[in-house]
Amino acid sequence: MAGAIAWTHAVFTSPSDAQVALRQLSEAGIVASDIEVRSSVPHEGLHPIGASPRTRVPLMAVLGGLVGGTGAFLLTSLSSLAYPLPTGAMPIVPGPPTGIITFEGLAIGAMLFTASTVLYEGRVLTRPSPPGKLDRYLAAGNIVVSVRCTQAPPPGWASTAIVTESQSAEPSP
Amino acid sequence: MEVTTSAGVSRSELEAPAFEEEAIFRPVAGMRRGLVVGSLITGALAGLLFFAWGYQIRNDIGVAGINRPVFWGFYIANFVFWIGISHAGTLISAILRVTSAEWRRPVTRCAEAITVFALTIGGLFPLIHLGRPWLFWFMVPVPNNRGLWPNFRSPLVWDMMAILTYLTGSTLYLLLPMLPDLAILRDRAAAENPLGFRARLYRVLALGWRGTPQQWHSLERGIRVMAVLIIPVAVSVHTIVSWDFAMTLQPMWHSTIFGPYFVVGAIYSGIAVLMVAMYVLRRGLGLEDYLNDRVFNNLGLLFVTFAVIWGYFTFAEHLTVWYGNEPSEMIVFWQRVSGDYAMIFWAMLIFNVVIPLSVLPFQWGRRPLATCLVGLGVLVGMWIERFLIVVGTLRFPRLDFTVGTYQPTWVEVAILVGSFGMFAFMYFLFVQFVPIVSIWEVREGKHLSSHGAERAAPVRRLIGEEA
Repeated sequence: MAGAIAWTHAVFTSPSDAQVALRQLSEAGIVASDIEVRSSVPHEGLHPIGASPRTRVPLMAVLGGLVGGTGAFLLTSLSSLAYPLPTGAMPIVPGPPTGIITFEGLAIGAMLFTASTVLYEGRVLTRPSPPGKLDRYLAAGNIVVSVRCTQAPPPGWASTAIVTESQSAEPSP
Repeated sequence: MEVTTSAGVSRSELEAPAFEEEAIFRPVAGMRRGLVVGSLITGALAGLLFFAWGYQIRNDIGVAGINRPVFWGFYIANFVFWIGISHAGTLISAILRVTSAEWRRPVTRCAEAITVFALTIGGLFPLIHLGRPWLFWFMVPVPNNRGLWPNFRSPLVWDMMAILTYLTGSTLYLLLPMLPDLAILRDRAAAENPLGFRARLYRVLALGWRGTPQQWHSLERGIRVMAVLIIPVAVSVHTIVSWDFAMTLQPMWHSTIFGPYFVVGAIYSGIAVLMVAMYVLRRGLGLEDYLNDRVFNNLGLLFVTFAVIWGYFTFAEHLTVWYGNEPSEMIVFWQRVSGDYAMIFWAMLIFNVVIPLSVLPFQWGRRPLATCLVGLGVLVGMWIERFLIVVGTLRFPRLDFTVGTYQPTWVEVAILVGSFGMFAFMYFLFVQFVPIVSIWEVREGKHLSSHGAERAAPVRRLIGEEA
């Protein structure tokens, strides 16, 4: 039962201290899925060991560009054939205007897919968790490392932490 | 629950943000009299826009001064002007991000907000100009039973596509990097009063942002990809706006240089409004530590560069026309240089070239107040340029029996004034709810610089700098 699992949270002021704690947790055999790191600033390399974040943003941007560009090309060319509007000496489906609209479609597709991927990968659109007691430390620029205590964390892993908190319920810190 | 703190560090000390960040948090912490008064005044001006627009809708487009052959007047000049202003933010911010310019950090949000607001206002003008805005959907390719379909060969349709793309991209580009800051505000507000209005508001706005490594990784990569994508889009937008003119055969419009000329003018006016906005924010919100002299100096250098490029393009454009000596073009040319529009034409050159090039090359000229004053002048000059392009040509089309006049009415003037009010109103509201300086980016910059200093220390010792 989720509510019965205890969490231990520790607040670190520097990423190097947090990194040492993460290494100790890893060496003690605590798996990455039982560790959560949170910060108000991105810190390179600061993540549970063995769980380096990955992203498909560039790939999805390319895919979005292809979808958007193809959609815009088809919209322009097929609809121009379906609703032929003779204008001057221009062909019914002229190249440059089709190219311009295809470019805009490509760009909007790539941007929408990029933003959607950022939101999806970070699970940003999930229901926000209720405010936790340590969130204020996070807002002040500190780093919060949380450990789900399915097994006892190694003693002294949070020795450099400025605040630690033990919690018996599931809610986030 | 058990909480322990390490010796020597008080909880309140830890909960309080770093001292120098107070200036960023202050405007969003609660109502401030200056901001409320500013919102009311500018809100009233924005109301003027909607009042005049409503008056026009009720009495039809005849209340505006546009008439044959000047079918495009203030509204289209304003449209081009505001779309140009929108190049301040996203484009400049994207270029600075792509080039990893560290000094960009306090500037980006303030610039990106300008883009979104200016685009919103710019996008209103074709609707206002339409006279019957409810018919705007005729431009949208939706299947219908009236056989109506947009003509994709019309630059006006390209315009709509480009502006929608840029507005969508700019809005996402503004909102995505805002999430971590909204989460900071959420956490602060929740600590102060969990049931308060701001705590609830930021809880909704911050979505589910927690600051996990995965969220940061995706966000940073996403911002980088968006920055690369938005640059060609921004360039395309104003190029396409220029093609609204250049694709016609009208004198002094049918020019191959118009695309880049418009883009340069757009960035130039964009930097001008950014300078003014930054100065006002710096003074009004006490952000001297962030929008500091270095930022003004660097942007001032960019400003003077664009003053030179704009001056060069203007000279090249007019020289080609003068040398070609084509009668229909020369009528428009001489009207500008020594005719009805001479006074505002030369004023434009003074505001856009003479003053900037007399002030900005010097160190003292790139101080905050000086750049703000030059920026105000450039805004006036760039609006005149848009007016001259639109009205200057339309008054004297190729067929000289259709020569006409144009006199703006109070409705058009009210809408112009109202558009500035609306822009300021949106900005006033924005700074009261969102940190105008990106907190996480500034913190990241500080962290990186201290980390860089740590890494550089052995090198400094090696070369004997520390001694």
